[in-house]
Amino acid sequence: MTMIKIENLEKIYRTEEIETVALNKISFEINNGEFVAIMGPSGCGKSTLLNIIGLLDDLDGGSFIFNGTEVSKFNERKRAEMRKHNIGFVFQSFNLIDELTVFENVELPLIYTGVGTAERKRMVDEVLDRIQIAHRRNHYPQQLSGGQQQRVAVARAVVNKPKLILADEPTGNLDSRNGNDVMQLLTDLNEQGTTIIMVTHSEHDARYTHRIINMLDGQIVTQNIKI
Amino acid sequence: MKAFFKIAFRNLWKRKVFSFLNIAGLSIALCVCFLIFQYISFESDYDNFHVKGDRIYRVSTDIKTPTDKLVWPSTPSGIVPRMKQEFPEIESQVRLMYRSFLFRKDDKKFQEDETLCVDSSFFSLFSFPLLKGDTKKALSDPLSVILTETAAKKYFGSADPMGQTLLFSNENLNMKVTGVMKDFPLNSHFRSDLLVSMATMEKFDSTMNSNFGGFNCVAYILLKKGTDPQKLAAKLPAFTERNWGKQLNEYKMRYTFYLERLEDLYMRSDREAWENGSITNVYIFSTVAVFILLLACINFINLTTARAAERSKEVGVRKVTGATRPQLIRQFLGESVLVCILSFVFSLLLITFARTLFNDLSGKTISEGIFQHGGQVLLLLLVSAAIGLLAGIYPAFVLSGFKPISVLKGRFVSGRSGTLLRKTLVISQFTISIALIVCTLIAYKQLNFMQSQNTGFKKEQMLVVEARGDSHMAAFINEVKNVPGVISSCVSSGVPDGSGVDVALSVLENNHGDMQTGSMEVYFVSHNFLKQYQIPIIAGRDFSMDLHTDSTEAMIVNECTLKEYGYISAKEAIGKKFEQWGRKGQIIGVVKDFHNNTLQKPIKPLSLRLQGQYFGLVSLSVAADGTQNTVQSVQKVWEKLIPYRPFDYYFLDDKFNEHYRGDARFGKLFLYFSSLAIFISCLGLLGLSSYSTFQRTKEIGIRKVLGASVTRIVSLLTKEFFILVLISFVIATPLAWYAMHKWLQDYAYRIEIHWWVFMLSGLLALFIALFTVSFQAVKAAVANPVKSLRTE
Repeated sequence: MTMIKIENLEKIYRTEEIETVALNKISFEINNGEFVAIMGPSGCGKSTLLNIIGLLDDLDGGSFIFNGTEVSKFNERKRAEMRKHNIGFVFQSFNLIDELTVFENVELPLIYTGVGTAERKRMVDEVLDRIQIAHRRNHYPQQLSGGQQQRVAVARAVVNKPKLILADEPTGNLDSRNGNDVMQLLTDLNEQGTTIIMVTHSEHDARYTHRIINMLDGQIVTQNIKI
Repeated sequence: MKAFFKIAFRNLWKRKVFSFLNIAGLSIALCVCFLIFQYISFESDYDNFHVKGDRIYRVSTDIKTPTDKLVWPSTPSGIVPRMKQEFPEIESQVRLMYRSFLFRKDDKKFQEDETLCVDSSFFSLFSFPLLKGDTKKALSDPLSVILTETAAKKYFGSADPMGQTLLFSNENLNMKVTGVMKDFPLNSHFRSDLLVSMATMEKFDSTMNSNFGGFNCVAYILLKKGTDPQKLAAKLPAFTERNWGKQLNEYKMRYTFYLERLEDLYMRSDREAWENGSITNVYIFSTVAVFILLLACINFINLTTARAAERSKEVGVRKVTGATRPQLIRQFLGESVLVCILSFVFSLLLITFARTLFNDLSGKTISEGIFQHGGQVLLLLLVSAAIGLLAGIYPAFVLSGFKPISVLKGRFVSGRSGTLLRKTLVISQFTISIALIVCTLIAYKQLNFMQSQNTGFKKEQMLVVEARGDSHMAAFINEVKNVPGVISSCVSSGVPDGSGVDVALSVLENNHGDMQTGSMEVYFVSHNFLKQYQIPIIAGRDFSMDLHTDSTEAMIVNECTLKEYGYISAKEAIGKKFEQWGRKGQIIGVVKDFHNNTLQKPIKPLSLRLQGQYFGLVSLSVAADGTQNTVQSVQKVWEKLIPYRPFDYYFLDDKFNEHYRGDARFGKLFLYFSSLAIFISCLGLLGLSSYSTFQRTKEIGIRKVLGASVTRIVSLLTKEFFILVLISFVIATPLAWYAMHKWLQDYAYRIEIHWWVFMLSGLLALFIALFTVSFQAVKAAVANPVKSLRTE
């Protein structure tokens, strides 16, 4: 079943003098349970595309159907509402909040979806166990290694049981061992049914995926390549 | 909620320095505002506790002579009893006089300079609780006195004073204690420890109830309910004409009586009475409080938005994980309110310590304890929370408005409008600070000017003994001349510090040969007064012991009198006639003008006469060496000859300087406030410079890589603040000039406002500002460029 259907998507950045077409009428689909990599050189528009899929940014043209709902005309409030119940994010630079412990960082999405205290505790404990970072629950991000921080970020991304995880260069700041650990983690999540879209420069990481979408200059060059 | 507090405190702790600066700035501002609020509340609440206060009016008088208009709070003692007779609208009336009387009990003796003589109706007008005695009868008879609790303890210890007696004056009269009352509250414009019945004064002066010429008392009337005071006031001119028109016409004078509301007397009356507040001071204090609070709020906004850059990533993450903008706004507003409430708590601590200093600055015991007025503390808490909300709105909206995709990529860029607002706020802060520095410098210059001004008489090493016209005064003077260290002595009714100066309606021959009425200050002096005080005679001669007519028919005037009566030269006045207080004679000499009052007041026409019965003060010129020993020796002579009176004395220069205490306090006040303003402004500047430096991290890194020196980078970063202070200076200068120009108008003798005061203030502010921002600038300039470029 199709989770994401994008048709003729356009994104243009305008300043007073310059107009930059970041995404030039691209179309593609992603099905439930897929693990897709988006690759391309710097400036090709892959992060822009990821932000639009993640409902962090709006589009200037085209159609975007997410789980059967047309979201292209959603305002910020509706996008936020859709995002927090359905999408989890993993970033290259982890983006954990330094003032919060591991437990509190992972708990954050549950607070914003209104989950009660006891239920939150249960869900966070469960996911920390699953990600194998429970022993660090009371530590702060600056006390963890890069790999551990990224695992916490992944835990935060999945705690709300989102349908979709978006990962923007998740291993970009990690050494190869930790990078492999994280990729394996994502693979395990995908096998459990979570759809994952990952932006990456690494062909090594792309091998973990089912499909690669290649982009260049705001357009999809190739897709549906299986490794 | 628990999570909210946890995060809020962790954020505060993480940025300890900024948190401290924010909380310190706000705590100080809240403390200052609270104390000023108490001051304003205290000043505004004067005399508002009288139950019948809305019907009580003081009867004041304008006296118009051919040359003068006098505006007095007093009336002749015969006026209000006559008013009561003729106007049924007046329910009751009371007259008050302050007198200095000697009271003794056993071996205790005190000269009570603030003894109040009052009519028996006193308690039927004013709401002062009587602890013992009958309010209707306690002051009916002559030689009756009511003591305050303080006086009762002073004279009688723990014994019951009711029915007991005190020896009154040196005539050994028995004054019976007929009541004990609570001490006058601090917010009453009456101040006394003893109330003597007016019947006592009537016993010694039978003209009390018919006197219309001597302005010897302050009188109040109580109107019947429903009486329109303006209608009554409209009837007073006819009343005056009816009763005293003929006599007043003879002297070419006019009396105009006014009714002043009791509740307006302290703050709003421009007639100098026993204790006057100043609505101007209330406005000044209120303005300062608002400014200080404004500075602190500006600071808060600046520091919080400067820190916004550091919290941008957190905002991005929260938004990505599902936070809505309203949720974030609530979070940041909540943090803002929390900081303000913490500031409130610290301000309570500050108030406890600052209270004494504030009481000293204001010259009153206003603040006796924080929790004395629980309502005010609650109000302060609400104000703190309100500040948290108001000051926190802008930063909350700024922070919650960040776009997550920008901030998470490290591409946080604050809008230009945010920077403009911050700069505008810093300009406002420094405008206020520079203006306050100017005001402080000018206030101190004026004070210095007044204190160093040649007063025209000798005041150093002048010991003044309050002999109060005692019958043994002559013996005392004779013997004290022999005390080693005493150089010379004289006696007088008053000395040139404003003490003991009387004002007399006098008639002098003017330059046209007409007898002209005017008011004159009067000193009654001994022969050597002018010599002792080194006041030069510029025409005519001094009093002579060889001419017995000098003691009854001679007057010496000052230069100021000449202008009043149209004389072009001092010589012209010699030999002209005078009439004053039942005496007639001629002017025998003219002295150079001298300041017998503070330089706030102009020199007025002054007359000096010899008339022994009015002498009350003995002035002794003493040697500079061994002054304390000299004083002790003089005291011994006093105690030998006048043991029944306390030995009260002072040094004239000290007393003279006391007059400037108010101005010195004012100067100190401005010093403290301008220091505070600068401190708080620097806090804001620190925040802005920190933010600005953070914004330019990449630029600094690139410049350093390309070869820029530390000095060049520091000057690059400080240049924008130099411009801000310059703009502040341009705005502050005319404002400060105008304010101080107005303030100086209250002084008859005042300094010129020089340009260098403004220049100095601007340079000082600039130096402080550059010093503040240089910390951040140098830190950024010496940082490793690799680190600042790595984030890219």
